[in-house]
Amino acid sequence: MATTQATQDTAGGVLPATPGAPQSGGGVEREFTVKARSQRQQIFRRFFRNKVGMTGLVMFVILLVFGFIGPLVDGKTYDTQNSSAQSVPPGTAGYLLGSDAIGRDLLAGLMQGVQRSLFIVLLFVVIAFPLGLLVGALAGYFGKWVDSLLMRVVDLILTVPLLVVLIVVASNFPSSRTPLGVGIILGLFGWLDLARIVRSQFLSLREKEYVEAAHAMGASNSRIIFKHLIPNTLGSLIVWTTLAAATAITLEAALTYLGFGVNGANQTSLGRLVSDGVQAASTRPWLFYYPGIALLLIVLAINLIGDGIRDAFDPSNRRVRA
Amino acid sequence: MFFFTIRRIIASVLVLLVSSFLVFALCAASFDPLSRYYTLNPRPPESFFNNLRDELGLNDNFFVRYWNWLSGAVTGDFGQTVNGTPVADQLFGRIGVTGRMIIAAVVIAVVLAIIVGVIGAVRQYKASDYALTFFVYILIALPTFWFAALLKEFVAGGINDLFGSQVLYTIGEETPGLALYADGWELWSDRLGHLILPTISLAMLSFAAWSRFQRAAMLDVLGSDYMRLARAKGLTYRRTIVRHGLRNALIPLTTVVALGIGTLFGGAIITETVFVWHGMGEYLIANGIGQQDINVVLGWLLVSAVFVVVFNLIADILYAVLDPRIRLA
Repeated sequence: MATTQATQDTAGGVLPATPGAPQSGGGVEREFTVKARSQRQQIFRRFFRNKVGMTGLVMFVILLVFGFIGPLVDGKTYDTQNSSAQSVPPGTAGYLLGSDAIGRDLLAGLMQGVQRSLFIVLLFVVIAFPLGLLVGALAGYFGKWVDSLLMRVVDLILTVPLLVVLIVVASNFPSSRTPLGVGIILGLFGWLDLARIVRSQFLSLREKEYVEAAHAMGASNSRIIFKHLIPNTLGSLIVWTTLAAATAITLEAALTYLGFGVNGANQTSLGRLVSDGVQAASTRPWLFYYPGIALLLIVLAINLIGDGIRDAFDPSNRRVRA
Repeated sequence: MFFFTIRRIIASVLVLLVSSFLVFALCAASFDPLSRYYTLNPRPPESFFNNLRDELGLNDNFFVRYWNWLSGAVTGDFGQTVNGTPVADQLFGRIGVTGRMIIAAVVIAVVLAIIVGVIGAVRQYKASDYALTFFVYILIALPTFWFAALLKEFVAGGINDLFGSQVLYTIGEETPGLALYADGWELWSDRLGHLILPTISLAMLSFAAWSRFQRAAMLDVLGSDYMRLARAKGLTYRRTIVRHGLRNALIPLTTVVALGIGTLFGGAIITETVFVWHGMGEYLIANGIGQQDINVVLGWLLVSAVFVVVFNLIADILYAVLDPRIRLA
């Protein structure tokens, strides 16, 4: 739990990514290029040249193909039980990665698990992102009592470790033991660090001259927030989204392992497969290894992409001058 | 500095007070201490429930209940469990159990994080940096319980085979009943054998994230003007890195680690579950939520909040001591 939080702290703390700010290195580059590249082109260029980020992207695309196109090729579903092929080891005809105790195909299970985990991530981001952005933007832009009030609320929720908050809430909703339920609960409480990141960026950005200029020209608060401030925090927002997505997958697995996640009958997720596999570590090792490795790969891929994006948005980090 | 500290302490106490109120409201709304009697067959008469409610004070006004609980909690009385034993005794015993696991893990994690972070920063974009980054990213991506199960399966089995006897234990914090007749070296070596695997598991996972943080902080410092000045004045490379670079790069890590310890006290739940430690995490899940025991959950959340707030305070004060610029803000 602490590890995940620290990861996100890293994302927030290290990130002076203010794409709007003048770049010290830009002038040097311009001498060699005939046509100036736009901000966006530079960022894409830096990302596509970044080995770490590209490795993550390639891994992620492969996982997407595996999860969404694989089932079409494979043609099997995880729900099919086969009483004559229970606990068969990998390599058995028709069961490339083996089967579990009630004869379900592990390969099909992994494909479905990848789908479900990505569904949980999507749900989480769709809920948590607007919440965090809204709270952080309001607190950072208006300051004063709005800031104090909202940030004290965030502080209060953070006095309990996130995993514990999720456990206590989930224990009150036994019907939430599905990917849908877990995604929603994760989303409702996963925005706290985003709010802090957005707030701190807004606090400094709102003092900039261009905000003052917009004010002077009669721009409304909402126009300044949406047209001027949010585009300038885009880097942090994207980095948060990738890193938080990886954390959401890990949190789902943790919740499921403890019995408060995807634990309903006939429910699947990568976390569920890994949790079930842990019980079978010594007797049917394939049920232990493959789901664990799948989960590892998907989290790794997303984290690497996040790292690449952070570097792409933060040119100052590229060169060490000492 | 003195006023800064006082101000922070007062703010922390206020946060705790409000937090305790919210936690109490949440728990009062979601846990029913009588729930285990509802399913009894035959169902007890209504008068039984009424008597019990009176006895437990559930019929009182919400604010009266909160006040009664809070005034008890401040003096160290967290009420009784559903089985009639005092919560406080069990809770404090379990803090010790969890603490044993965390302290060693944090020390190992911090030392490793500094070494790996500094190497990664000094050798940025070299082969060794890429290798360490890759290794750390794999650790970050590992599901905690899967990694712990891997340790139990292979490291424990391998080491025990090597020594030909049970050196590492995979379950519990000590051999049950040993404390009744053994003491001194026998008891402590047994506890050590139980401690090693959970410590490794916890340390590896905390270290991974911290080392990334240390690397980033070190990179920031390496790019600064005073580093160049130190080199220009003729100091050796090694001396600038250690005396000027590392010293400053350690400041952000202090905060992160202090905050991390606070959450670890409540949050080592998964590691405790895998290794069947009867620590804080198990207490919350099995005794608290599992038995709908409101006093256990309340006490747990309050203690956990105290740890988080106290370590937040320590982080703030440490930061102000180490970096005097912060006090002006």
